[in-house]
Amino acid sequence: MTSEWRAFIHGIIAVPLLLAGLLFAVYGAETGSVGAQIAARTPLLLTGSSDLSSLSGGFSANIIISFWAMLLSIGFGCILAVGLIAETKMVRVPSEILMNALRNSPWLVVLYAMLYLLPFEMTLFGSTFFLSPLVKSVIGLSLPAAANVAEVFRGGIESVASGQWESARSLGYRRLQILRHVILPQALPLMTPNLMTIYTMLFIGTSLVVVTGTSDVLSVVRVVTGSDGAHLATGLYIYVLLLFFLFSFPIAIFTRSLERRVRAR
Amino acid sequence: MSLDFSWLGDSLYQYWLLRGLGTTIVMSLLGIVLMLVIGVVGALCLHFKLPVLETLTTVLVELFRNTPPLVQLFFLYFMLSEAGLTLTDPVSGREVPLFSGFTCAVLSLGLYNGAIAVEIIRSGLLAVPLQTVEGARSLGYTPTQTFRFVELPIGLRLSLPAMTNNVVSLIKTSAQAALVAVPDIMYGATQISLETYRTLEIMMLVWVLYVALASVAVLALRQIGNAVRIPGYGVRVS
Repeated sequence: MTSEWRAFIHGIIAVPLLLAGLLFAVYGAETGSVGAQIAARTPLLLTGSSDLSSLSGGFSANIIISFWAMLLSIGFGCILAVGLIAETKMVRVPSEILMNALRNSPWLVVLYAMLYLLPFEMTLFGSTFFLSPLVKSVIGLSLPAAANVAEVFRGGIESVASGQWESARSLGYRRLQILRHVILPQALPLMTPNLMTIYTMLFIGTSLVVVTGTSDVLSVVRVVTGSDGAHLATGLYIYVLLLFFLFSFPIAIFTRSLERRVRAR
Repeated sequence: MSLDFSWLGDSLYQYWLLRGLGTTIVMSLLGIVLMLVIGVVGALCLHFKLPVLETLTTVLVELFRNTPPLVQLFFLYFMLSEAGLTLTDPVSGREVPLFSGFTCAVLSLGLYNGAIAVEIIRSGLLAVPLQTVEGARSLGYTPTQTFRFVELPIGLRLSLPAMTNNVVSLIKTSAQAALVAVPDIMYGATQISLETYRTLEIMMLVWVLYVALASVAVLALRQIGNAVRIPGYGVRVS
């Protein structure tokens, strides 16, 4: 049994126990009734609908947002990374400024900026799109993540030996062809653990989309505390902590074992 | 699109922004102190493999690292405000809640980034050369003394680069305190943007303020790193 497996088993058992103990410490004799109330609201918290009919709200919205934001940020990060390793200063310096600007701004600031900067609806190629808060939060989250992705890509590309560039060059490849056919296949395995760390970070960051008015898990918690009483709030937040933990902890452990395997190579 | 910064001339807005800046700085500094204390204590528990505390530290670190700081903040805010402890303000003589939004924000920042600091300091301690530790042991230092006088000072220096990232992340995370109505920069900025609708300009200013704060922190840590550098030991902050 590897050390990651042991850490996983420990964490996945101990953390829920710890949170359950916390719930008991807060509510004492009422734990049972509070637990029953939370259990009754679980479908709402998980999917945003009380009968599991749609997946557009609650915790599943967080997962969907993180997924789309990751896809977008990989696309945008790739372009930014190509700019970062460009030979001409005209391209490299602006990309570096953009990357540092996005990396150093708090995610909340970017989200707020996107919330008010992106238009309510926009017309592209003659068809009108409605930009829902969900779309805005996906874009807002993907921007800072893209800067991190670009940094990882640059690191991965630079870790490939320069002889690879030169020999591909002598075979007549162009710059983007070298990147696509020679460098990326070698760099991708090195970058995967870092990309997964960024995904975990992004997933944890989706809790911030509550400010955009998306019906994510925290807005559902607000609705439930509004309808069922404020004394539930602590229990509900413990529950949300557990949900986030159960999703991102396995990814974190998997990342760690992957990292070890990559480093051992 | 033309930029309009005329709202900056309003003295009320200036007051909000300055107050926010002060709050953010104080909150970040307190958070950094708490983070360091938690980091050192946690790393100590892991390093000496203290029977129960080691498992507890590992579990808490996993919990805090893998959950959103925002949810931790809300959780602390609701749990502690429900506990309802108050203390008497020595200036005004009024009863103020002990766990205000500000206290909870500092606590959540300290806990979330402290959990990361535990890992950072632990890997710093692991990077201390074995020969140095053995040398200290052969000079007759007890394990505690070795930790206090040899491993911790070198380990903390070695963890400085990673700690710089963590401090910057703490300053960035502190923006979410606005969501529990702590009057920090972000709170002032949202207030102003609700009144003036100049969101782009305000967010640019906020961004500049946060980048400036982070840069000051990076520069300060670099100064500290250079000041405490052990000559010839190869411990250098880039």
